[in-house]
Amino acid sequence: MCEHIVKAEEPKLLPGDLAMWIFIFAELLVFGIAFIAYAITRAQNIDIFNQYQLTLNSEIGAANTLLLITASYFVVRAIHAIRLNNVKTCILWLYASLGCGTIFLLLKLLEYYDKFSHGINLSSNTFYMLYLSLTLFHFMHVILGMIILFAIVIKAQRGHYSAENYIGIETGASYWHMVDLVWIILFPLVYIIR
Amino acid sequence: MSIRYNIHTIWLAMLVLTLSTYIMGKLDFNGIIVTFILLLTVIIKAYFIINDYMELRGVSLLWRIIMFGWLWVICISIAITYIVSL
Repeated sequence: MCEHIVKAEEPKLLPGDLAMWIFIFAELLVFGIAFIAYAITRAQNIDIFNQYQLTLNSEIGAANTLLLITASYFVVRAIHAIRLNNVKTCILWLYASLGCGTIFLLLKLLEYYDKFSHGINLSSNTFYMLYLSLTLFHFMHVILGMIILFAIVIKAQRGHYSAENYIGIETGASYWHMVDLVWIILFPLVYIIR
Repeated sequence: MSIRYNIHTIWLAMLVLTLSTYIMGKLDFNGIIVTFILLLTVIIKAYFIINDYMELRGVSLLWRIIMFGWLWVICISIAITYIVSL
């Protein structure tokens, strides 16, 4: 009975593969430094940042936040489904998440097209350099997250996952949530806070 | 998880918080108090993601310190730079 009590107090293991978590922590460190660099640079160039922040499309920024939050929610639903050994439902939720990710990328491309067609690029000014660098860096992470989710869907369709074995789905889900977590800070920092 | 606090209500709460952030920006609310409210919104959403979507609630303290330490360092740094720039 004592042994049982001791086991109950043990902390849970990280969901998914530890190697992915090391990767996630490294990614978060890089994004963290970039966010702080943005905030410091803004403090030194307030007028430029306040002026050009108004040119950003906050509707697209908000819509993309809703999409990533919803995509994360769908991934959680997928994990809950696989825990019940419901593979088909799990696959459907993962596809729904990929759908949200695709719309995110399309909206972001629309936003970039608008900026680039107005002659805005990395060398336009300090604000645009940081805005484009941060969002493009995040954009690439969304693509990587979608590639990981797609690989998981393919494996799920081939019957690799079940209620007893779903560590691969947890690993991919953890990365996808990291992409969401970063955007949750990036959106107000770059688009909203003045 | 309870009827009021579960993955569905968390999702809805995060949608509402996102919309409130957008509306504050659209109405051109600014200043240090608004910045603190927006950062608080970020922290609440990040707690939801880390605890309930990433499922780090109940994992080793080390991992939680890394995740929440990262979050707090960023938010406090942003707050300091905004205070300094006033």
